[in-house]
Amino acid sequence: MTEKAEYPTIKSRTLTLTHDIPICKTKTYWEGLKAGKVHAAKCKKCGEIYYPPQADCPKCLSSQIEWIELSEGEIETFTKVSLKPQGFNHYKEDFIIAIAKTPEGAKVMGWLENTDVESIKPGAHIKITAKMMPDGFPTIILKQA
Amino acid sequence: MRKVAVIGVGNSKFGRRTDATYCEIAFEAVKEALEDAGIDQNGIELSVVGSVGNRLYDMYPAPLVNEYVGLASKGPLRVEAACATGSAAVFTAYNAVSSGYVDTAIAIGVEKMSEVDTLTSTAVGGRGCYLWEFHMFGTSFAAYYALFATAHMKRYGTREEQLAKVAVKNHFYAARNPKAHFQSEITLEQALKSRIVCWPLKLYDCCPISDGAAAVILASEEKVKDLNVEDPVWVQAIGFGADTGNHTRREDFTSIKSARAASQIAYKMAKISPNDVEVAEVHDCFTIAEIMAYEDLGFCKKGEGGKLIEEEQTWIGGKIPVNIDGGLKAKGHPLGATGCSMIYELVRQLRNEAGNRQVPLKKYIGLAHNVGMTGQYCYVTILKR
Repeated sequence: MTEKAEYPTIKSRTLTLTHDIPICKTKTYWEGLKAGKVHAAKCKKCGEIYYPPQADCPKCLSSQIEWIELSEGEIETFTKVSLKPQGFNHYKEDFIIAIAKTPEGAKVMGWLENTDVESIKPGAHIKITAKMMPDGFPTIILKQA
Repeated sequence: MRKVAVIGVGNSKFGRRTDATYCEIAFEAVKEALEDAGIDQNGIELSVVGSVGNRLYDMYPAPLVNEYVGLASKGPLRVEAACATGSAAVFTAYNAVSSGYVDTAIAIGVEKMSEVDTLTSTAVGGRGCYLWEFHMFGTSFAAYYALFATAHMKRYGTREEQLAKVAVKNHFYAARNPKAHFQSEITLEQALKSRIVCWPLKLYDCCPISDGAAAVILASEEKVKDLNVEDPVWVQAIGFGADTGNHTRREDFTSIKSARAASQIAYKMAKISPNDVEVAEVHDCFTIAEIMAYEDLGFCKKGEGGKLIEEEQTWIGGKIPVNIDGGLKAKGHPLGATGCSMIYELVRQLRNEAGNRQVPLKKYIGLAHNVGMTGQYCYVTILKR
């Protein structure tokens, strides 16, 4: 067998997988994104903050949560994605994925806008918002002040 | 816990294998392992198939693999731990033998990745955490490791040349390993000039999408005596670690915490220190991962991984030769096969069978470090002859 050689193959039948994902317990989060806001969950019993949000607290096993808004933070790390995976390859521009730490102690992943990747400094202050993309999917926007 | 030895290893050719199905590739590895052990399928009590399998047309590959290789009645499970699946298979087989449940077991790691296109494979891989990451941001494994690379470079001053030097080393050894995906050396300039995949990672910082299989046959000490196996390679320790699925719940992006945990368990079990390791297989799915592995395993101080490769300390002749088979980076990374393939290489090294890639040994201690995703799983295995 040589590395470049191609051998005869047959095509498989196509399988399409699309999921209906329940959001009943995290509806505030998904509705918030449509309104430009990003929410974390906070356990009413022990005060633990969860981001990404979750409806159940593994720390005290309570399922009573309240929602808090995350609106700002500091950049911790980032990358600019040139090889876009299936599902994102219709986006023309490369996007910057960053993780920011908020004063509440949560970390938020989002797309960093309005910046050149080489000039980003860890620790830079950012505002956290959300928006709906033209294809109907939500995303979170991190913007340097 | 009983002592467990590796009595047979096999490894298929890694690469873009359009000439064979995943079962046919698994056969290559199992046949070599059986011949190496000098036994047939009747000598195997338990078969553990490790396959991530999410790029396959078959959703339940283990029974088909076992049937194809003549072990249909021996395989009651399939294991999965993302990119550490092969080690999870070895871990499962090891525990079955060590506990006394069986006297022999085979771990078969197999993966066929190249039958789907690159963007599909990138999306399948990136769905390590779909709902909170991929759904909104289009994450991929290159992007995840790029987040670690950026953090490491910003905190410790690690440079892109140092990342590229990992690729140069691993291509150098792959070019001397007939089973490796890539069969040619690369220059530092080539690596640095390659196109950006996920900044700061370039094409040559990334492992290829590979097909392949590897198999490891384990036996109890009693069975080793029955079979008259002389001077086998012993499994001294297997340590494990794990971490959060969501990256936003990680403390830090400059280290793989589960690798530190797994190595501490393994060093303690084997009663050795990092300085005793003479040859290591580490999880270099991206060049930054090899640099973090040096640090997490204690081969150098935190933040000095870049300096270690810069000084060529991980080449043969250096302080600790790493990935002398080409690593995931250049030998290839068929997910389920990788952990078993690491054991294959270490066993060949510890038996002095590695030919022109043989590491000079005194203590005959080797270490395999196999990370699943970005440390959601990790296994560190220590072998000794």
